[in-house]
Amino acid sequence: MILFEPFHLPFMARALVELVLLGVLAGTVGVLVLLRRLAFVSDTLTHTVFPGVVIGHLMAGDGGIFWGALAAGVVTAVLLTLLTHRRRVSEDAALAMLLTTLFAVGVVVVSRQTGFTSDLTAFLFGRVLTVTEAQLAQTAVVTVLVVALVVALRRPLLLRAFDPEGARAAGVRVGLLDLVLNVAVALVVVAAVKAVGTILVIALLIVPAAAARGLSDRLAVIVPLACLIGAGAGWLGLVVSYEASVGYGIRLASGATVVLVLVAMYGLALAAGFARRKAGLVRARRTAPESALESAA
Amino acid sequence: MSERAPTLVLDRASVAYGDVPVLEELDGVVHEGEAVALIGPNGAGKSTLIKALLGLVPVVRGRIEVLGRPPAQARRDVAYVPQADTLDPDFPVSVEQVVMMGRYRRIGWLRRPSAADRAEVTEALERVGLAARARDRFGMLSGGQRQRVLLARAIAAKPRMLLLDEPFNGVDAVSQHALLEAIGSLKAQGASVVVSTHDLAIAHLACDEVCLLNRHQFGFGPTGDVLTPERLRATYGGHALELCGDRVIVTHT
Repeated sequence: MILFEPFHLPFMARALVELVLLGVLAGTVGVLVLLRRLAFVSDTLTHTVFPGVVIGHLMAGDGGIFWGALAAGVVTAVLLTLLTHRRRVSEDAALAMLLTTLFAVGVVVVSRQTGFTSDLTAFLFGRVLTVTEAQLAQTAVVTVLVVALVVALRRPLLLRAFDPEGARAAGVRVGLLDLVLNVAVALVVVAAVKAVGTILVIALLIVPAAAARGLSDRLAVIVPLACLIGAGAGWLGLVVSYEASVGYGIRLASGATVVLVLVAMYGLALAAGFARRKAGLVRARRTAPESALESAA
Repeated sequence: MSERAPTLVLDRASVAYGDVPVLEELDGVVHEGEAVALIGPNGAGKSTLIKALLGLVPVVRGRIEVLGRPPAQARRDVAYVPQADTLDPDFPVSVEQVVMMGRYRRIGWLRRPSAADRAEVTEALERVGLAARARDRFGMLSGGQRQRVLLARAIAAKPRMLLLDEPFNGVDAVSQHALLEAIGSLKAQGASVVVSTHDLAIAHLACDEVCLLNRHQFGFGPTGDVLTPERLRATYGGHALELCGDRVIVTHT
């Protein structure tokens, strides 16, 4: 069957496992990013990890990418947390400045290399079909760590996202918690660099969470659904790019194909969510007399 | 009343954000089972005082004691009720999940809520008259109902002191009545209540004491003694006051 056949090839199987892991990782963290409205902060992180990737590659080849990204990710997560906790500078402007500055540093460094465009493309958009077993292991470790962390901190994270003042009043250490979330986002970027590159990872974070939010109002449903949508889009995207290339001779970049499948799924979720709310309104109208009575009382 | 234990002590207390003093020279005592209304114009420092009682804004001079401890060490027994309209109505949480947040301190990070936790949540929702809405999404409720849910969250935490920031703003009559009832029953159980409000009528209804604030303290004491036209005029500065019989209306705040 077309949905399973390509994955008899070892490199396709590795790509599938990588994207399923990333789907679960980014889905879990993405819901928190969505609830906290941190999409722009996350996008900044994806760009600031880039110079780390480049410098890591320069120093130690492919094996250095993960560690370079990790160092850059953690440093910028700390910087971002400090920046967003001091409201003196306009937050947006400061983030935009940080984003472009560090991105430019990465481009300058990479442009001094021979084979500049090919490297740049790999860093920006990833090469999921060349993922190695060692990289799979790295992704698996990051996924287990981050998901366990989010599960352990789910109550303070939820309280902080819903009601920051209430969280502070309840003794939650909000600054520390924000740092944890920013580092988690950085880790998603680090894990996803090889597969989808620093630019497309933002789609992996935001789109499944947004689609799942459109389908449900319950967090207990939204989080697993976001993971499922992310992993499913990874699978479907690989099948589509494989079929296009093998069956029709059209070469599609796998990472970008996955993102487009994700966006298509988001479109479907949006339509389903619209239908659901319509149905909800009809139900509300049917029970309206009751609430009218209450407000009249 | 005076044999009851003091729960809140302000002793020449000044509160500041960094170098900027917000409130200066506050004095007063609140006892178990008493409610005090914080009254003053916008920007008077009412919310800042509430944050200082939570230990979130530092006391730079003098002393604030909550339940016999410095404020930051009393948080476990203090519950805070924010203004409902400061919260995102699109947030995907149910009414009972919001109330369960009040139990988080007792549940801890990993344990599942016990039957006792669930019973507390249901009881708290019953006390604000919203048990039937437990499974609805928080944002689907009216502003007044959301405020009641936040009060239920505080009740579920079993506090000895309750801090409410403008709970009656934009709240309909039904919800106002439900809030007042619930606050009254908490007082009857011995909790102290601090509530900031613009509404002098509510201060009369719900509170034993009043603290008039506008950067400085313009009065602290029994409601009937403190809410006089002269003191209100002093608190609100140049803003006009209209007197209708024994009621005072502040026209511009």
